[in-house]
Order: sequence, then C-alpha cells, then structure tokens
Amino acid sequence: MQVAIQGPWSPLFGRLTLASIPYHTPILIATFAGVAVIGLVIVGAVLYYNKLGYLWREWITTVDHKKIGVMYIILGLVMLVRGFADGLMIRTQQAMAIGPNSPGILGAQHGFLPPFHFDQIYSAHGTVMILFAATPILTGLTNVIVPLQIGARDMAFPYMNALSLWLTTAGAILVMLSLFVGDFSAAGWVGLIPLTELPYSPGVGVDYWMWAIQISSIGTTLNAINMIVTIIKMRAPGMSWFRLPVFTWTTLSTNIIGLTAFPVLGVALGLLGADRYLGAHFYTAGLGGNLMLYTNLFWIWGHPEVYFLVLPAFGIFSEIIPTFSEKPLFGYTTMVAATFAIAGISWAVWLHHFFTMAAGPDVNGFFSIATMLVGIPTGVKVFNWMFTLYRGRLTFATPMLWSLAGLFLLLAGGITGMMLAIPAINYSVHDSVFVIAHFHCMVLLIGAAMFAAVSYWFPKVFGIQLDERNGLMFFWTFIAATGIVFIAMFALGFEGETRRLAYIYDPAWRPMLWTEEAGMMLYIVSIGYFARMLYVSLRDRIPVPADPWGTSRTLEFLTHSPVPFYNFAVTPQVNARDELAWRRDHGLEKTQPDAFEVIHMPCNSAIPFIIGMLAMAFGFGLIWRIWWMFGAALLGIVIAVIIRSFDKNLGYEIQPEEVAAMERNLATAGIIAEQPARKPLTEAEAH
Amino acid sequence: MRLKPILANPLLAVPALLALSGCNTGDYRLFHPLSQVAQVQWWATLFELGIMSLIIVPVTVLIAVFIWRYRKSANAKYDPSWSHSLGLEILVWAVPLVIVTICGIVSIRTTHAVDPYAPGVLAKAEAAQPPLDIDVITTDWQWLFIYPDQHVAAVDELVVPAGRVVHMRLTSSSVTNDFFIPGVAPMIDVMPGMRTEDTFDAPTPLSDTGFSADFSGAGFSWMQFELHIVPQGDFDTWVAKAAASPRQLTYTAFTQFAQPTVNEHATISYFANPTPQLFETVVGAAQAGVVYPVPDALTTSVASLEGGPVSAAATK
Repeated sequence: MQVAIQGPWSPLFGRLTLASIPYHTPILIATFAGVAVIGLVIVGAVLYYNKLGYLWREWITTVDHKKIGVMYIILGLVMLVRGFADGLMIRTQQAMAIGPNSPGILGAQHGFLPPFHFDQIYSAHGTVMILFAATPILTGLTNVIVPLQIGARDMAFPYMNALSLWLTTAGAILVMLSLFVGDFSAAGWVGLIPLTELPYSPGVGVDYWMWAIQISSIGTTLNAINMIVTIIKMRAPGMSWFRLPVFTWTTLSTNIIGLTAFPVLGVALGLLGADRYLGAHFYTAGLGGNLMLYTNLFWIWGHPEVYFLVLPAFGIFSEIIPTFSEKPLFGYTTMVAATFAIAGISWAVWLHHFFTMAAGPDVNGFFSIATMLVGIPTGVKVFNWMFTLYRGRLTFATPMLWSLAGLFLLLAGGITGMMLAIPAINYSVHDSVFVIAHFHCMVLLIGAAMFAAVSYWFPKVFGIQLDERNGLMFFWTFIAATGIVFIAMFALGFEGETRRLAYIYDPAWRPMLWTEEAGMMLYIVSIGYFARMLYVSLRDRIPVPADPWGTSRTLEFLTHSPVPFYNFAVTPQVNARDELAWRRDHGLEKTQPDAFEVIHMPCNSAIPFIIGMLAMAFGFGLIWRIWWMFGAALLGIVIAVIIRSFDKNLGYEIQPEEVAAMERNLATAGIIAEQPARKPLTEAEAH
Repeated sequence: MRLKPILANPLLAVPALLALSGCNTGDYRLFHPLSQVAQVQWWATLFELGIMSLIIVPVTVLIAVFIWRYRKSANAKYDPSWSHSLGLEILVWAVPLVIVTICGIVSIRTTHAVDPYAPGVLAKAEAAQPPLDIDVITTDWQWLFIYPDQHVAAVDELVVPAGRVVHMRLTSSSVTNDFFIPGVAPMIDVMPGMRTEDTFDAPTPLSDTGFSADFSGAGFSWMQFELHIVPQGDFDTWVAKAAASPRQLTYTAFTQFAQPTVNEHATISYFANPTPQLFETVVGAAQAGVVYPVPDALTTSVASLEGGPVSAAATK
C-alpha cells in the first residue's frame, strides 16, 4: 500500500467488501434487476437457438471490419441508452428538488437522489455519452464504411482492429460495473481537479472513471493508427487523393487528431494515477503540485476530442446531402481544406474551456481569436452544404432529414459558440447551463449525424430496409424533444443557473426546469420509435439492391447489399470522384467482372477478445487495489501478446469458383451468414 | 418543414418561448446588469448576437428556402453539374473572415474592459477612490468574506457599500470553486494554494444571491451567499454588528471553520478581528500541503447522505 486509504483493505479482495454492493439503494436494485432480466433473456435466447458457437466464430473472434464496426455501434447504442437514463435522472432530480420545501424520497432530502448519487450520475452521463457512446458509434461507422469507400478488402491491421474494439468494450464494461460494485466518480466527466485527489474523493469512483477511460482510449489510439494507415495505403487503383469521398477525408483528419490527442489524455490520467496510487504530487494544491497542469492537459486532449467527434459528423452530412440532392457536393476542394483547417486549429483553442482560470486578458484574447477562427472553416462548410441544395432535386428520406436538422443544430451551436469564445461574455455564462445547452447543440448535431449515418448505411450493411415510417416518427419526436429541452436550457442560462446542481435553490427556475422535463418525456417516446423501427425492420426483412437509395454516389454502394465479407469480388478501378455516380452517368453501374480472382483474407483470432477481458481484470484489480489480480492480468496480457507474435498465421484464400458461387447466392456471403471453417495457408502455399 | 428552423434553432425561439411561458424577465438576471462590468458583458452579448445574426439568419432562411424550393416534387430548375464556383468559394471564406475579424477586435477590447484583475471600465473610478478590499476564502462548502480594513469577517454574506468599487483576492482552502454574482461580478476561479482577483463596481443598492459556479463536491448545491449592496451608513452599521461578534477569527478558528460543512440553510454568521495576513496564511498552508479531507461517510456510499447533508450545527 503506497498511500493511506480510508476504509478496509485485504490482500485477497483489496478494498472490495460486501458493503461495496449497493443493495440498500432501491434505484440500483431496480436497475440491476432490469439488467439481469435483459441479460438472462439474451443469454437464454443464444442458448435456446444454439448460437453460442456462431457468436464466438463469426463475431467475438472476427477480424472483419464490418462486423467490428457493427459491434462498436451496438456497444455505443447500449451506452447511449445508459447515458440517456442518466440524463433523465438528472433532469428529473432537478425538476423535483426545487426550493427548501421540496419533498425528498428514497433517502434524499430533496428529490430522489442524495447529492453524492446525483454527482455520480451527471459524471457518468458525460463520460458515457462522449467516450462510450459517441466515440464508439462514430468509430464503428468509420470502421464499416471507410474501407468500402476506398475499395479496400479490410483494414490495414484487421487483428489490431479487433483489439481496439475489445479494449473499448473493456472500458465500457468497467463503467457499467461501477453501477453495481462500488461507486462511479462524482467529480465530473472532466475530472475536476483537485476534487479527484484522494482527500476529496477517497472512494473507488475516480479510479473507475480513470481506468475505464485509460483502457478504452488505448483502443481508440490503436484504431486511429489503423485508420490512417488504411486510408494512406489501402486505396483501390485510381482512388487518388482528390477522389477520396469527403467522409474518408474527415475520417483521416479525425484520426490524425485522435492519434495525437489521446496520448495526452493517457499522460494526464497517468499522472493523476501517480497521485492517487503512489502519493505523488503532480496535481495537488500543495507540495509542489500544480492543479492547473491537469486542467491544461485534459483540455489539450478534450478540445481536439470535440473535433474528433464532429468532423466525421461533417463527413456524414457531406455524403448524405449530395445523395439526396442528386448533385455532387459543392466546393469539394474547399470542403477538404476546411476539414483540415478545423483539425489544425483544434489544437490551439483548449484554453477557452477555462477562460475564468485567471489567465491575463492577452492570453485569453489569443485563445478567443483562435477559437473564433474555427468559425471560418465551419462557416464555409455550412455554405457549401447550402449550395449543394441549390438547384438540386431534393428528397427527404430519414438520412436527409437528420442531416438537415443537424445543419440547424450546427447554426444554433455555432452562434452560441462564437458568443462563448469572447471572454467578456464567457465570464457571465461559463459553468452555467448556457454552456451545457451550447455543447448539447454540438453533440446532438453529432447525434443527428450518427442517426443519419445509421439510417443511410444500415440497408447497405445488412441488405434489408430500415423501416421508414417509425424512422420518421423517431426523427420528429427526437428533434421536437431537443428543441424543448435545450431552448429551455438556454433560457435557464440567462437566468443564471449553474451546472451540476443536485438541489435548485431558486424557485424562479421551476417553469423552465419543468419544460425540460416535458422534453425528456418526448425523448422517451422517440426511443420507443427507434426500438420499433429496429423491430419492424428485422421482422419484415425487405431486401434492398446494391444502391438502396438509387442516387448514391460513392464506392460502397457499388458492391452488393448485404456487403459480402470480402467486400468487393474484384477490386474496383476508380475513375472519378463520385465513382458510382460516374458509372451511373456512363451506364456502367451494372457491369460484372469478367473473371474472379483468388481472394486473400485474414483468419479470425480469439486473442483480441482475451486481451480485452484481461484488460478489464487489470482495470478492476487496480480500481479495488487487488494487487494479485492486477499482476495476474498484466502477466496474462504479456503472455497473450507473446503468443500472438509467434503466431505465423498467413490468412486463408478463397478460390475463384467459390467467389463466383457466393456472388450468385449473396445470402451466403452477407454479414449474418455463417462461413465454413477455412484452413490457413501454409508457408509453402503462400509462396 | 417550415416549423423545423424554429424547432431546431433554439436561439431564434428563446424570445418566443419567454413570451409563451409568461415569464417575468426579472428572473433573467443577465438581462439586467447592474454593475458597469456586467453592462459591458451584456453589451458584448447583444453585439455578438447581432453580428452573428447577420450571417446566421440569412443562412437559416436560405437553407429553409432551398429545402422548400428545390424539393423534388416542385420540379424546380435542376442543375447537377453545378458544384463549383470560384467567386462563391472566395466569398464563403471571406464573409466569415470579416465577421471573425470584427468579433476578434470586440473580444480583445471587451476582455480588457472587464479583466477581473484590472477592468478598464473601472480605471477612472478606481483612480478617484481606492477600492474596498475584501479577501474571499472558500471552504467545503462555505464562503468566508474577510474585510481586512474593517477588521470583520462574514460567512455566506457579502455586504458592500453602494458607489464603491470592490476589489477581491480569492483563494480556497480545499478544492476549486468559481465566484459568481450574475449581473454584478464576473466569474473567476477560486483555487487552493493560489490567489486570484476579481473587481466589480456596486453602483446602487441591491440584494441578490451569489454562488460558486464550479462543482466542488457533495455540498456544492447549498453553497450560496447573500449579496447586499447598501448605502454607506448601513454598511457602517453592519460592520459594527459584525465587529460585536464574540467569535474571533484566529487561524485555529479558521481551521475549525474550514472542516467540510454543508451550510444547508445558508445561515449567516460573523467573526471579529480576523488575524492579520489570514489570507496569506491560508494560501501558504495549502501550498505546504494542508488539506481538509472529506470524510469517508460523505463520499464512499451512495446512501450516506440519508436524512440530508451534514448540517452546519452538527459540525460546530
């Protein structure tokens, strides 16, 4: 034991005792019951239909970028629901706990959540939504789509791709585990310093937050390397740089940000770990520590992270708006330039997250102007989308509606962002709910892009229609709810309400808080429509052609729906920027290859999953200070890596006859289909 | 379709919603800045909204118009070849550039005007009459206002004479807080082991609430203080009342006061004769590693606050 910790500790269980299980908290008991029932139903269904082997062979051990992407998205959607539940509890608590005479239930003096529980919930809400919902969903989308858009067979490093997924999943499991074993951090998703230091957060909450992020961000960093290499090295013949689809461009820029930013987060959290575990003083107020160092390091990652999320969203709009305007994107070159301008400037603006930390007016002024510069390329993008609509032939399928709604959210988030960029204004609304409303405009624009992308590419990946009727209802209820909640929140910002209040001391805020709560109810309705959309789609399974929309422009719509596991039977030759549109204009979209060739594919591997689970044990051991578990898991990871590095698996080949057969019967090659066991190549065969 | 811009563009709808809800704008504290500092902030807010509207409103309207005009069923002119225009592309870079340049100038000027350490708008007033000095120390989770020249200190109550400029030095004995009085004083972080400053003017009498804007732990939601801007005479009376307090603010008394306490009912209390240099002592102590740990009971178990937060009485 390097540092003095409060509470008991034993060598076998570390800090874990029976009291760590929150069996005395009704909300968590109910949550646990719900999770247990859902879990049992899923496990029961898997066993009943005898799908365990299928899941293991085709999904858990897969290295197929599409399946990995889909699993990322499923993980993100599950966490999105978790994050929404947190948001709902925050809003409900604030709607209940207004004024000194407001009643309290379930052990709370006001509302239904004691402050410490409320603080965990809002901290979890931010952590989950940004790092375990938005990030995995966008990573998943880029995983599925980018290799298809550039005509690649898979990612550059399929094995590392699977490893990234399982590390992210390990982090997400740790966050979920904190619900039922111990506590989560109560110091904000940003880890307010020095609140996260041991004297002020003596429990395991901060440790859960810290290690969950640390482990998952290793996955994100690996994925960034993978994406960059894939885009640079794996493009189909003819796919020159200025023929890249804009979504691929934004993915490239976003992953350059990811690769350079996430290590900073790793260091920031690592030093915090040194404080909490080794008694160091990097961020303490005393003994030579500097708490402002943490704030700087966190936002040097945190601000680029925002653009890490928003740039793919811009890429998604840039794919969908041309498709449903039946026109090429206006100003492709300026769009690419704007993308990289945003990525570049994103490095020079972090200080605007703490204008009130008393830097001088000149320092604040510098970061103010740097921040406003982001508005220029962002403005260019909005103009370009607007001119793409001009003289188009617009149809309003759900992906298009989500994209247009995203534009309006961007305008609202943009104008308020420009206001916040001025320190003088910032001094009156910083840490108020005005800021919350502003960045929710931005993250909900990212959310709109995610839903746009899911509805746009779902038919492509699964080969079936996504139910449009429920999709439309989902869209309208979601957008209406967004309007109600966040207009009210902007108003509350002007009323002077600050963030993170477990108890509302000013009854004047009641009307707006209740308005927000009404909006939250509408969000619940929208989630219902989302679930129904999925249910109806999976029930009806209406097949779609290669290009489900009829007006798509990019390469991923050239291959079949569902996309065969080998992506393209024959690697396509790219002739133009919008390849599919070019082929359609030249009457070539239906051409078939003259002959098939041998396709070389990577073999599945269980090691990424094993390392992911070991990483989870590693984190759990550290969080509870169960040193044997931490050591054993670390050793296990090292052994797994060594085993893998001696594994001379050369992948396998699919012979042309088999490709031809699968091309005739597409169902046998789709994402759901089970593949026969295939023998890896021997070294002799490889030569 | 036509409803969507309104639904999705919150700022456009704020005034409409205010009207609908029948709210008295008196609740909108930022709309009624009292101090000169806050007036500059509010002016900057309106200016920024105005200049951004020059670009946001036309773009919002144009997008809405294009959505309507070029819907497929309208059979409007369709030109799939139009995807590039040098003139327009120069324009779309130039217009935001101009706007950002103007905003940048405004930003620099207003930032100097309301600089919490030495606001430009108050330079004249400060030259005419030296500001009232107040030392502010936050604890978990109370405010201590020390008046070094008046030799009194107040808990969770800030009283200042009308017509004076107030200059504050702020520090924390525990974690980071954020001093804020909407419409009066700009926000400034309050950090342990460090000193920040905040300056504002208090032109006319007012009673309001100030608070911490930056989350500081379980008692954060109860961490407000009362602000009273009063005529000079009333201020003198108040100082006399505080000076009559039997409690003397020695450093030892401070260390007891600084133990984690949720002042649930915002009970106001006073100290007489604060030790000279108490502010410097507290900053120095934090730098030397003095902390006021939050008890396990407040943080390790979700249900630990059953029956309400630790009350002020329980810890004194």
